[in-house]
Amino acid sequence: MTTVIMRTTARVIVPIILVVAVTLFVEGHNLPGGGFIGGVLTTTAFAVIYLAFGLDFLERGVLGRDVEPGKEPSRDRVVVAYRRLFEYGLAIAVLSGLVPLLFDRPFLTQTFVELEGVPIYDHVELASAVAFDLGVYCVVVGGLLTILSVVGAE
Amino acid sequence: MIGSVPATALAASPPVAESQLVIAPLLIVLVAAVGSLLFGRWTRARIGVSLLGGAAYAVAVAAIDWYIVLAPSAPGAATYQVGGWPAPFGITLVADGLSAFMLTMVAILGVASLVFSTRVLPEIDRRSYYFPLFHFLALGVTGAFLTGDLFNLFVWFEVMLMASYIFVAYYGGPQHTRAAFWYVALNLLASAVFLLAVGGIYATTGTLNMADLSRRLADPAAYGIDPRSVLGLYGLLLSVFAIKAGLVPFQFWIPTAYRAAPPQITALLAGATKKVGIYAIIRLSFTVFADAPVAVDLTVPGTGLAVAGNSPLPFVGAVLFVMAAASILVGGLGAVGRESIEGVLAYSSIGQVGFIAVPVAIAATTTSPELRQFGIVAALVYALNHTLAKGLLFLAVGAVRTATGTSSLSDLGGLAGRSPPLAISFFVGALALVGIPPLSGFFGKFLVFDVAARAEAPSVLALLLAGSLLTIAYATRTWNRSFWGARTAAVEEATTDSVQLAVLGVLAAAIIAVGVGFEPVYEFADAAAEAALDADAYVDAVDPADASDVDLEAGGEGGETGGEHE
Repeated sequence: MTTVIMRTTARVIVPIILVVAVTLFVEGHNLPGGGFIGGVLTTTAFAVIYLAFGLDFLERGVLGRDVEPGKEPSRDRVVVAYRRLFEYGLAIAVLSGLVPLLFDRPFLTQTFVELEGVPIYDHVELASAVAFDLGVYCVVVGGLLTILSVVGAE
Repeated sequence: MIGSVPATALAASPPVAESQLVIAPLLIVLVAAVGSLLFGRWTRARIGVSLLGGAAYAVAVAAIDWYIVLAPSAPGAATYQVGGWPAPFGITLVADGLSAFMLTMVAILGVASLVFSTRVLPEIDRRSYYFPLFHFLALGVTGAFLTGDLFNLFVWFEVMLMASYIFVAYYGGPQHTRAAFWYVALNLLASAVFLLAVGGIYATTGTLNMADLSRRLADPAAYGIDPRSVLGLYGLLLSVFAIKAGLVPFQFWIPTAYRAAPPQITALLAGATKKVGIYAIIRLSFTVFADAPVAVDLTVPGTGLAVAGNSPLPFVGAVLFVMAAASILVGGLGAVGRESIEGVLAYSSIGQVGFIAVPVAIAATTTSPELRQFGIVAALVYALNHTLAKGLLFLAVGAVRTATGTSSLSDLGGLAGRSPPLAISFFVGALALVGIPPLSGFFGKFLVFDVAARAEAPSVLALLLAGSLLTIAYATRTWNRSFWGARTAAVEEATTDSVQLAVLGVLAAAIIAVGVGFEPVYEFADAAAEAALDADAYVDAVDPADASDVDLEAGGEGGETGGEHE
């Protein structure tokens, strides 16, 4: 799959996919989208990179690390990072659900504030559900990328 | 159990609001799961967080038992609206007598299995996801017992299944992968059927909140519902719950899955997730669907047997009875010829669930309210006995494997002399299955026979008797082959783990304690059965709003509606 066409296409579409993913994530609490679909789309961007440049590209090409050849895929440093992203994402989601208990509200209660007069945007709506969504996003990205890179290496 | 504490000291109002007690077990398990995941790199911290979570869970369940169900001034049921959204729109959690009874069984066995796990695990894999998954399994079971929403029940089933898939495939050998494949394939099919039925019920009745569903089905004309189609959809649900409970003809996944999973997890699968199936059958049949006016008229050709009535219950009872009878026979006959201890116990589980389902079936078909409640009580007491005894026996399999490296009957023999504490615990568990006084199993079996006798059904009595004889046959055979006789080489070199034996001892003591001090247990089961049958009280506790009464704008403000039900 690592043809010139594939690599050139990947350079163009990966940024677009990531921007769309972030857009879906940001407006997800109120409009179609959300942490799950944003996370899946982000994973697709990574999958395209893996297909076009190979499994070690992220470590060697982007992070500039040395990669030992016959290493165990699940001990790969990128995979460890993915796994940690999954763990922290789960923690963020659960904590965001627990915060309302401090304010004597039921588990998972959400609220929002509307900010007026913000530069450029003017009107911004900040929802507490974004914190939960961020957790879901991290869980999806971390979980799917762990599966993708470990199973892909095997 | 809690009744022995001076009532005056505890009768005061609970330390936190009742509604917060309802969600406490769920949150504790959730935090324990995340905590053990985050501390995954440090074995001691991971085990510490897990044990702390288990202890806190037990305390939370005990608090629910006392403050919501058993205390003299207890309300009997308490609800929690997740996220502050009012019923029937939001997710309702309901803790009543039935949920509390089930949670108590899970808490006892869950903590025992958790402590046991800490002594088995380091040998398998020090850096595994075992403990987070263990907590997620407990989370799914707890959520299923507490939820008051049909779709949410589906979600908790999935949480429970996801964790159990991995446990069935945990050892990663060919037979484990094969068992997991079967298990996953069957349960995906069951989940699809479940979802289909849930979608159908929503399309027919316009609600999935169980209390709202119960209210609407009791008066279908007022809501423009055709209750006949709901009966068919409930038939689909019943098949899903029967798969979870492992009733014949859906029993075939049990032997392979139970043999493949680690024994301390199998203890939970048999003791807790199976009971979720039983719980769902009892809750939905008696609390939710019982009052739907559906004319049922079934006759078995050639025998003159007939069930009829103006409720789905006779239909449920008839179906359940056929499945239960087949389970008792298939499980009992299958268990007699197995070649490993866990094989015997897996088939025994099929038969024992039949013993739990028979009184439920009688309760569903009878017209007498007393017998109906008594039938549920018998089923619950038997379920408690099965959880304790089967949990103990599966943990004993784990202890035997740790000690000897095998659990195959042909490689074992003379364990009784090698490790008397292990033998005594196993003996108590086996006798509880058989039903010898003064153990918990005696009362379980006695009540089931009593229900059949009061229903004046001699054929049912004969069936129960045959099942009991089979139980005696396989229990004595397993005992003779593994604990008596000449010591084999594996047994000669056995070294037992003291903590594992202590866990077995505590469970054995619990079995004896339930049998000796049976009175409070019976009262608890009676309260649970009353809660299961009193649909009006359930609806009142949840108090779902009518769609027309609710100002939807108020719900949209999120936090604003949170304070009203504290």
